[in-house]
Amino acid sequence: MRRPDAAGPARAPAEERGVRRLLQRRFTARLLPQLRLLVEECAAREGLREPRRGEFVLAVDEIAGNAVEHAGGWGRLVLLRVGDELECRISDAGPGFSEAVIPELLPGLDGASNGRGLWLARLVADRFAVTDAPAAAGAEDGERTGALVTVAVRLR
Amino acid sequence: MPARDTGGGHLLPVQHLRPGDHSFVSYGDDEVRWDVVTAFVRLGLARGEKVIVLPCPAVSEEEVLARLDFPSRSPAPARERGQLVLSSMRSVIRPDAEFTAARQLAGLHAETDRARAEGYSGLRTFIDMGWVAALGTDPAAVIQRETGAQSLFAGRPYTEICAYDRRRFDRALLAAMEKAHPHALLEQLGSLRAVRGADDAVCFIGEADTANQAAFTRSLELALARTARARRLAVDLTGLHFLSVGCATRLLALVHGAAGHERFEVHCGQGHGRLLRRLGAGEVPGLTVREVIRP
Repeated sequence: MRRPDAAGPARAPAEERGVRRLLQRRFTARLLPQLRLLVEECAAREGLREPRRGEFVLAVDEIAGNAVEHAGGWGRLVLLRVGDELECRISDAGPGFSEAVIPELLPGLDGASNGRGLWLARLVADRFAVTDAPAAAGAEDGERTGALVTVAVRLR
Repeated sequence: MPARDTGGGHLLPVQHLRPGDHSFVSYGDDEVRWDVVTAFVRLGLARGEKVIVLPCPAVSEEEVLARLDFPSRSPAPARERGQLVLSSMRSVIRPDAEFTAARQLAGLHAETDRARAEGYSGLRTFIDMGWVAALGTDPAAVIQRETGAQSLFAGRPYTEICAYDRRRFDRALLAAMEKAHPHALLEQLGSLRAVRGADDAVCFIGEADTANQAAFTRSLELALARTARARRLAVDLTGLHFLSVGCATRLLALVHGAAGHERFEVHCGQGHGRLLRRLGAGEVPGLTVREVIRP
């Protein structure tokens, strides 16, 4: 499966401007309700209003749920304040995937159910990207590192 | 998860609490008991409210602080600047030593005014009712307080949770206490309840997430079967704090495939209405999505 360029559009702003880490958590399926609460808390504190706050929490949950279901049952979340954006990076140690697996158009209600969550996450995001997760220390060249999904919304 | 009869709007997820709400919650587990208080505290702080926690006197302050700070230490700076305060019922009714409803209400009234004067948008208080036994208070005085506290809430930026340990209070008293409060809360984060509303509507409360998708689907299937003769079904999502894409899709697919029904009405908040439309609600024959703002 083709992997998008790791230096895609989701990375540049975080490296160029001031970044403040708001939250860092490892999660499993059991911890998703707690994860939603923590993301909602941070989003409210940073001034993200409803209904955008609810959409951001939904996008994060869909991406985290995808990692749990398809990438070994767990993942890592890092939530950042990047300039005027709230940026969430969700990584996993699964087989990785490309943004190409996300349907361009929403499947009909009698069609396939796969990909709707990521489709919605990309739709509500102001910035969205799928890249390779950063390699773990000691990983060899070519070793699989999983996926990193970045979703960001503007606060203003 | 078959739908149960209950008063509409009484049961809420803790995330839906807002100024003016007075709510009951009970717990029977020393881990689960922290779910509601943690969410209440963190969301209140994030919304710019002052938060006072009156924990069970039997729990050490060290444990309370450790629980509130888990899994991230965001409440710690709020404690340092005085936005989050740990207190006790003894402090609230001071200088009196014996509880009276009037004394306690006056104390909380003054605390609300103080919070506003300090620049916070309001006050929220979590009260573990373990203080009742610790102060040797007659439960009848507590019921009197719970039913006569409207002046503390009406039109004021004050929110309160009264938490009862089911292992410390008998069942009849708990039922009376729950009835004395305008709202009751789900005990645990990530839980979902389905209740039967007026005209055989099915009302969902809590979080319709992936873990609850099978139960969500089953409740909808039962509601469809129950209303087959009437050929119309109302689905109330206004009590949901979270609706996953999977649950929203299941709802639309079941409605789409329910050949015997003529009309469906979904009541929901603005965000869930937008989600349903994005997922194709407009293409489902006979379906109306009504966005409802809680009065």
